[in-house]
Amino acid sequence: MTQFRPGREVMVVGVGLHAFGRFPEQGLSDLARDAVVDALRDSGVPWSAIPVAYFGHVYYHGMSIGETTLAQLGLTGVPIINVENACSSGSTAFWQAYWGITSGVFDMALAFGAEKVPSGPVTVTAENSPARYIGGDHMMAGYALRMKRYMEETGAPASALAQVSVKARQAASMNPYAHRKETYSVEDVLNSRLIADPLTLYQCCPTSEGGAAAVLCAADALDTYGLDRSRAIRVAAAALTSGNYNGRGSDHSAFSPYRTEPAALQAYEMAGIGPEDVDIAQVHDAATIGELQQIEALHLTPFGEAWRATEEGRTALGGDIPVNTDGGLLAMGHPFGASGIRMVHETVTQLRGEAGPRQVENARVGVAQCSGAGDVTTVHILTR
Amino acid sequence: MVVSVDEKCLRLTDESGERGVLLGMRCPNCGVCVFGPATFCQSCTSADLEEVELSTEGTLYSFTIVRVPPSGWPGPVPYVLGEAELPEGPHVLAEVIDCAHDDLRVGMAVTLAIQTVAMDGVAGSERAVYKWRPA
Repeated sequence: MTQFRPGREVMVVGVGLHAFGRFPEQGLSDLARDAVVDALRDSGVPWSAIPVAYFGHVYYHGMSIGETTLAQLGLTGVPIINVENACSSGSTAFWQAYWGITSGVFDMALAFGAEKVPSGPVTVTAENSPARYIGGDHMMAGYALRMKRYMEETGAPASALAQVSVKARQAASMNPYAHRKETYSVEDVLNSRLIADPLTLYQCCPTSEGGAAAVLCAADALDTYGLDRSRAIRVAAAALTSGNYNGRGSDHSAFSPYRTEPAALQAYEMAGIGPEDVDIAQVHDAATIGELQQIEALHLTPFGEAWRATEEGRTALGGDIPVNTDGGLLAMGHPFGASGIRMVHETVTQLRGEAGPRQVENARVGVAQCSGAGDVTTVHILTR
Repeated sequence: MVVSVDEKCLRLTDESGERGVLLGMRCPNCGVCVFGPATFCQSCTSADLEEVELSTEGTLYSFTIVRVPPSGWPGPVPYVLGEAELPEGPHVLAEVIDCAHDDLRVGMAVTLAIQTVAMDGVAGSERAVYKWRPA
């Protein structure tokens, strides 16, 4: 078991986004740079004051792409680290930035992520892998298997799962950064094209392009750099785990909610809070079933009951545990390297009270949970 | 002679490529068994693993009918992907054949089937692949 010794208190002082969607005219570096410039502007920190940067991305765009991207802002000589941790690449970069500061090594850090995900089903293994003959290397088929089992075990109707998508689009319709902003009904979701039964197209997140960035600073250094304490949001916990063997058959494999649980418990312990204290949550909803199972793994509802909470509107804006308040992966889209930091962006925006029509009243504690293939889970907790 | 799609997962037991067994690695220390190759125990990290032949019968833990296949999928579309739970513990993902979609049920008994599959237009790409069929 890993031992954690957080030291200095760490704050997020700035967040930035490049819109999510399709941008054929722009390269990965353009998306990443725009998000970084946005976050630096938001924080009031000049690039020349940033002592370290971590860049989350998955697809290959040439060697040391983080360095060549930030070189556009000026050659300051600082360490820049490229991070690949599947769908959790961005949230892993954030984790590294947090630990770089809390450990006392750096006063500040930049975490950023970007991606241009190709269209079509996402596969994990290499081109000549035996998995291609087996037919199991298919992200959404993996989610479909979980969905079928979940519906069987809990009695959740297809309409409850479709409601997750409906809710995502409602939130995204109020978010100018979202890839998909048009709203639709439960019937629209259920009648959309089947991808892998019972998962329909509108229950799968779009593959997207986009960028996100966050500037972090030690709480004891805010005054040194003249930063606005009133807009700084505290990082109460940053947890990152790989696979934990738990004896639950396939449930220690990819996409399992049981993978999230150890990271969640670790994060709650670090933060000194429990799930009952959480006001808002951003979770890994690559498919509708993902959102339900992550809500349960975070103990925001008992296992097997997130579908009921969704049907009752409890997880929507206006409910008592709003989940994916910016539209989530389902409507924001999912540029792997950016998504984990996008969740931090939304959490910070909500806790600052700057979310406009999406604002959750009196939000003080926010959780951001991100899962990645190959067994990566991050759970970050931010507090005001 | 047809070769196995993955010799550490499927050992062929005759030259036709139609008979074989799934392989697992079992830890005598803690009893945990996994499908396919492993050097260290997933549960207790012991290196003292022994190869075991897995049961050819399992139950369908879940299934999906894949309508949009992953790139490089060499079979028909749609196809049924099943997750079978074996008595030894491991879950094994494979195509489910010889079953009408309406007859698929979570919990149904399935049995190992082995078929030769070739990648479209790729010479020398024939492999014996493990699949499930209703028991």
